[in-house]
Amino acid sequence: MSASYNEVQLDALRELANIGAGTASTALSEMLGRSIDLAVPDVFVLPMADAIDQLGPAEQDITGIMLGVEGELPGTVLMLLTPENAEKICVMLGLPPDSELAPSALGEIGNVVGTSYLNALAGMTGIAVEPTPPTTVTDMLGAIVESILAVRAMSSDRTLLLDSSLIVEGEDCSIVFLLVPDHGGAEELLERIGLA
Amino acid sequence: MSDLMARMGELCASGTVGDQLVALGLGSCIGLVLLDRRKGVAGLAHIVLPASEGHKELNPLKFADKAVPELIRQVTARGGRKPMFEAILVGGASMFAGAGSTLEVGVRNAAAVREALAKERIRIHAEDTGGTKGRTVRVDPATGIVTVRKAGSKDEQLYPALSKTSHTRVLQEVA
Repeated sequence: MSASYNEVQLDALRELANIGAGTASTALSEMLGRSIDLAVPDVFVLPMADAIDQLGPAEQDITGIMLGVEGELPGTVLMLLTPENAEKICVMLGLPPDSELAPSALGEIGNVVGTSYLNALAGMTGIAVEPTPPTTVTDMLGAIVESILAVRAMSSDRTLLLDSSLIVEGEDCSIVFLLVPDHGGAEELLERIGLA
Repeated sequence: MSDLMARMGELCASGTVGDQLVALGLGSCIGLVLLDRRKGVAGLAHIVLPASEGHKELNPLKFADKAVPELIRQVTARGGRKPMFEAILVGGASMFAGAGSTLEVGVRNAAAVREALAKERIRIHAEDTGGTKGRTVRVDPATGIVTVRKAGSKDEQLYPALSKTSHTRVLQEVA
């Protein structure tokens, strides 16, 4: 089985991502007390090595907040932001940037934002999902993303990325928001909206 | 003169002076280097998972058991001699310590690569594996120098080992 989708299906996935990210941006906006802009989401079906290149230079330092997703849409929610932007978010939350609490504060942001996104998807499609607790790590982009993709590589050479950007207005601060479904996860979504 | 990239599930080999073999941002994956230093030939595989069993339709080179023989073949094709091969392992980290399924992939990858090398009777001369940090590995086939960079630090030479403490031979006094 290889992951391949037609244009109508990709459009539908993009639309689901849009609504999910819209809900996530509202949650982020409430947490930070700022307006959040939303970039039009992208949907990629790519060989795994290309998926990393798509996200940025593999050696770039990046902060990743990861939530596992269990249930009928197994996969991973991954939020990526530069370490500078992670600091900005902490400051917006009223934390000193070098605070020991920073990773758990970011994890909590990830938890709220990721869960809102998943709830929106679940509400639209009727799937049951259960997020696992967040993990926050700052390291090379390639190392973070490949470690998530590696688990998926067991069943496919390609990966589906639903990619949205949340932009904090007036702060030049953005978070890349990714949903990486496990093999079969996207099929389940499409089936629920009658496009499988 | 160029950088040859080994991305997820890819491998590369060279015996050309000035070439560099590179795997950027290894997380749970293993960068496996095979060197024939006297011939100035090297290969680098970016291995994603331990075993190909039951996954016939997938890219075999992402699995340790298939990548190791293919890397041997490619380095041999460029003039490397298998009995002279030196292996160096880099990567196999657990990026999300405590986060379940990704946890053991790095450790299992390293074990699978060691086993595949043992089967081919190739000795491991240096290793920088495990931990929680991503790594970049660079190999210069002409000199056989292997460097590793971890996130937030500089390139460090992993092989040949730079002896930090000079071995002073203690001569026994003979009465």
